[in-house]
Amino acid sequence: MELDVLGNPDYGELSIDLEPGEKLNVESGAMSRMSPSLELRTHLMGGILAGLARKIFGGESFFVGEYGGPQGGHLSLSPGLPGTVLHEHLDNSELILTAGSFLACTSGVELKTRFGGLRALFSGEGAFVLRAIGTGELFFNAYGAVIEKQVNGSLRVDTGHVVAWEPTLSYSIAGMGGLKSTLFSGEGLTMDFQGTGRLWVQTRNLPATAGWLTPFLRG
Amino acid sequence: MDITLQPNGAFHSALVHLEPGDQFKSDSGAMFRASSNVDNDVTTISRGGGLLAGLKRMAGGDTFFLSTYQTTGGEGGEVGVAPTLQGHVAQVDVESSQSWLCAGGSFLGCDGHMDLTPRFQGMKGMFSGENLFFMEVSGAGPLLVGAYGSIREVPVDGELVVDTGHVVAFESSLSYTLSKTGGSWLTSYLAGEGFVLRFKGQGRLLVQSHNPREFGAMLGRRLPPRRG
Repeated sequence: MELDVLGNPDYGELSIDLEPGEKLNVESGAMSRMSPSLELRTHLMGGILAGLARKIFGGESFFVGEYGGPQGGHLSLSPGLPGTVLHEHLDNSELILTAGSFLACTSGVELKTRFGGLRALFSGEGAFVLRAIGTGELFFNAYGAVIEKQVNGSLRVDTGHVVAWEPTLSYSIAGMGGLKSTLFSGEGLTMDFQGTGRLWVQTRNLPATAGWLTPFLRG
Repeated sequence: MDITLQPNGAFHSALVHLEPGDQFKSDSGAMFRASSNVDNDVTTISRGGGLLAGLKRMAGGDTFFLSTYQTTGGEGGEVGVAPTLQGHVAQVDVESSQSWLCAGGSFLGCDGHMDLTPRFQGMKGMFSGENLFFMEVSGAGPLLVGAYGSIREVPVDGELVVDTGHVVAFESSLSYTLSKTGGSWLTSYLAGEGFVLRFKGQGRLLVQSHNPREFGAMLGRRLPPRRG
C-alpha cells in the first residue's frame, strides 16, 4: 500500500494505491475517485445494534464502504469538511474517535462503537464514539486545523472540538460554570480529560457553524 | 483580455482586465468587484429554454444566470470573480479543436467570444441533490473554474471513476457515463456514494478535493427543518 496525505492543512485528502487483495474501510461518502478495477462492498460498522443505535441517536452513517479488488488500484478519499487529514499507525493499540472524525482504516483495524452516555447524547455532539483497535493504518479528519496535545494531568476541551484521543486518557463531561452558563454562554459542554496520553483537537466545530447560520435562515 | 489569478491562501479569486471590445461571460453570482465603466447584461440559460421556463425553474436550481461584461467609454476596466465556497481557482486555455465540459457549479467565466451550450444529464431528477448539469465551452480562449477546496489535474488514459460532486471540468474527448459506485444501487446507497461518472478515453480532467453536496448534507442535518 502506498499512501499520501495531500492538501493539509486547508484541504486535506488521502491518496492510496491498494495492492492486489488489499482492502480499505472507508467512511460513507468519502470516496472522490478510484480505479474502475476496485470493487465496493458495504459493512455494518461495529455490529447491527451499534449501527442502528448510531443511526437513531447519532444521525451518523450506518455503514462503511470496503474498497478493494484482485488487481488492486488507486483510491482518493476526502472528508466532508475542509481541514486536516491525519494518519496514525496502530500497533496492537487503540485510538478513540468522535463521530464524524473517522475517514478510513486498513482491514487489521477493527471499529467498535461505544455509547458515550446520556450526557453525551444531550451534548449534541454525537452520542457515540468510535474505538479503532488493532494493527494497521488509521486515517481521520479534523474540521479546520488540528492541534495535537500531549496531556499530562488534565485538559478541558469543548465537546465539538474533540477529534480523537488515546485510551490512556479518561474523561468526564461537564458544563463550564454550571447549567446557567452552559445555557447562556454558548459554550457547550466540555470534555474534561485526565491522565497521560495524546489528544487531537480541531479548531472549528460543525454544530457551532450550523448554530451561527440558523438565525439567518428564513422559514 | 488578460486574466490574473489571485491565489490568496485558501481563498482564490481571479481578476479579468478588459480592453474596449473585449467581453467576459460569467456566472452571475461570481462577480465581486468591477470598474464603474463595466456594463453587465444578464441572460438566462435554462433547460426548457426561454425566460418564463427559466423563472419557473429558479427554485430548482436548474436555471443558470449568465452575465456578459464589457467596458464602456472606450476605456479598459476590470472584473473580479470568485467561487461561492472557499477554494481554489484555475484557468484552462481552451483550444478551438477541443471543447471542455464544466460542471455547472464550477463554471466561473470565460471569454465572451466562446460558445456556451448547457448539457443537462439524463438521469437528473431521479434522486434529489444529484443536479448534474454541464456547461460545454467551445472556441479558443480562457475558461475560469472555481472549486470547493483545491483543484487537481488528473490525466485520464483508459478508465477512471469519479464521484459527481468532485468533477470540475474535462475535455470533451473523454466519454462518460453516469452510473453507480458499487455492484448494485443498494450497495452504492449504503456506502453513501450516489452517482459517479465513469470516464473513458484520453483527456484532461480537473477535480476538486471536496464535495459541496457532502458539505451541504452535513450542515443541513444540523439546521432546523424547512417550513412549508
